[in-house]
Amino acid sequence: MTSAIETFGLTKRYGTTTAVADLSLRVEPGEVFGFLGPNGAGKSTTIRMLLALQRPTRGRARLLGFDAAADSAEVHRRTGYLPGDLELFPRLTGSQHIAWFARARGGVDASLVEQLIERFQVVADRPVRELSKGNRQKIGLVLAFMHRPELLVLDEPTSGLDPLMQHEFENALREVASQGRTVFLSSHELDEVQRIANRIGIIKQGRLVAEDTVDGLRRAAPQKMEVRFRRPVDPATLSTVTGVTVTGSDGPRMTLEVTGEIAPALRVIASHDPVDLLSRPANLDELFLSFYRESPDSEVSHAG
Amino acid sequence: MLADITRLELRLRRRSTIGYAAGMALYTLVVVALYPSFKNTTSLDSLSGSTAAALFGVTGPLTSPGGWLNGNIYGNFFPLIMLLLTIGYGAATLAGQDEDGTLALLTVLPLRRRAILVQKAGAMALQALVLAAAVTVCVLAGRGFELTISPGAAIGISVALVLMGLDFGLVTMAAGVGTGRRGTALGIGAGLAAASYLLSSLASTISWIHPGRYLSLFYWSVGNDQISSGVSAADFTVLILAGLVALTAAVIAFRRADLN
Repeated sequence: MTSAIETFGLTKRYGTTTAVADLSLRVEPGEVFGFLGPNGAGKSTTIRMLLALQRPTRGRARLLGFDAAADSAEVHRRTGYLPGDLELFPRLTGSQHIAWFARARGGVDASLVEQLIERFQVVADRPVRELSKGNRQKIGLVLAFMHRPELLVLDEPTSGLDPLMQHEFENALREVASQGRTVFLSSHELDEVQRIANRIGIIKQGRLVAEDTVDGLRRAAPQKMEVRFRRPVDPATLSTVTGVTVTGSDGPRMTLEVTGEIAPALRVIASHDPVDLLSRPANLDELFLSFYRESPDSEVSHAG
Repeated sequence: MLADITRLELRLRRRSTIGYAAGMALYTLVVVALYPSFKNTTSLDSLSGSTAAALFGVTGPLTSPGGWLNGNIYGNFFPLIMLLLTIGYGAATLAGQDEDGTLALLTVLPLRRRAILVQKAGAMALQALVLAAAVTVCVLAGRGFELTISPGAAIGISVALVLMGLDFGLVTMAAGVGTGRRGTALGIGAGLAAASYLLSSLASTISWIHPGRYLSLFYWSVGNDQISSGVSAADFTVLILAGLVALTAAVIAFRRADLN
């Protein structure tokens, strides 16, 4: 079966800055793929290369079996796109936008358009310049969904949406996926992606640092432990154990992150006379934040 | 039936198109209506021939119908407004929309970039034609004010000015997608147009500039006394070829451009 998205060593450099480095990933039809990363990690640049808005410095991408650059018109026909910083034509109303784009796409199913307008509660009769960011975003969603695309590429789609609308949006995505269509969405919020994505790719400083199913990532995620000993314990005794990171130590209290098997950590803990132990289940947040934290840039900004 | 992007662009520019045409029509009517009051003031004719007059596009005797129109409309004000329109549009439609963030939505339609650009150029041509039609109609109304000029020459010059406007507009579009900046594109388009104007208007009085006039698109549209001799096939050929070169450059630049 043809993959919905395949990239091969996709790289984008601006002068000496590398925005995306050697990115290879594959998204299968019917998947909801969450593309996660901090701001400036290269999410939007990757998406722009997928849609041929930008030309890769190296590498290439195939969407729905077509070359992203050479067959861009065909890719665009079958794809719905919501840009990260959606900008519409300020003087036109929502209806005018929808009518024009529908026609430019060679006509769309009017009943679907009506359904989408109702579903996303689009304010259709006022010029876009008078609308809030959330209301503009809803028009963008209708424009992305209305031609029933085989692939939806959504760059930070929920920004500006209220929780109720986010919920509605997530339902819409599930329906799309259940029809065998594919969704590729970027976000910097794990919660959102965790709820709707089957698979997640994490990008940091232009590189794909993790790519797995949500369950797979959860298995690899660190488990947080808080231990209280009878008397103070040297953190070094635990930090040398495989898979253990000591995140805090205050006399007899210690907090740890354990990745993988917990038995080696427990054996060492048991030999030091523990009084109390609290273990929280593996949390994807911790994993995700650990990817964020490891960046030297973010450490600098945290220090301030 | 208009192509979709042409239609959208005209809709977005509706007010300015009407504004340019209405303003220029009003100005033209005033100039035309004033002609009977000036046509016997032959002292005005001594103005032409000076460098200062040449700077304002005045070439022939001002009191002849052709000289009056050239000195007040075709030699200066009409090309200026035409260039404001086309250079302004050329900078706004690609570089400007890219800066605003709206170009991405158009670029992800199932259209090749060349088609997008050609449709935008079509919108520019239609805006320029509306302006030129307004001026031409008002100039021909001058027959009621003793301002007799051959309709062929009036229409010919208007068409030539539309073509010249498109030439500079397309150069501006190319500069816009090449640099990605509206301001830079405006500067390049306006700078080239200003240089072209000076070259053509001063060539008639400053001898060392004289051979350079062939490089000026003004020379090929209004600077070679087209008001009395008509716009020649050679004039049209140069204006059209320049447009095709600029269009090709714009298409090549747009196909390579990284957009936001």
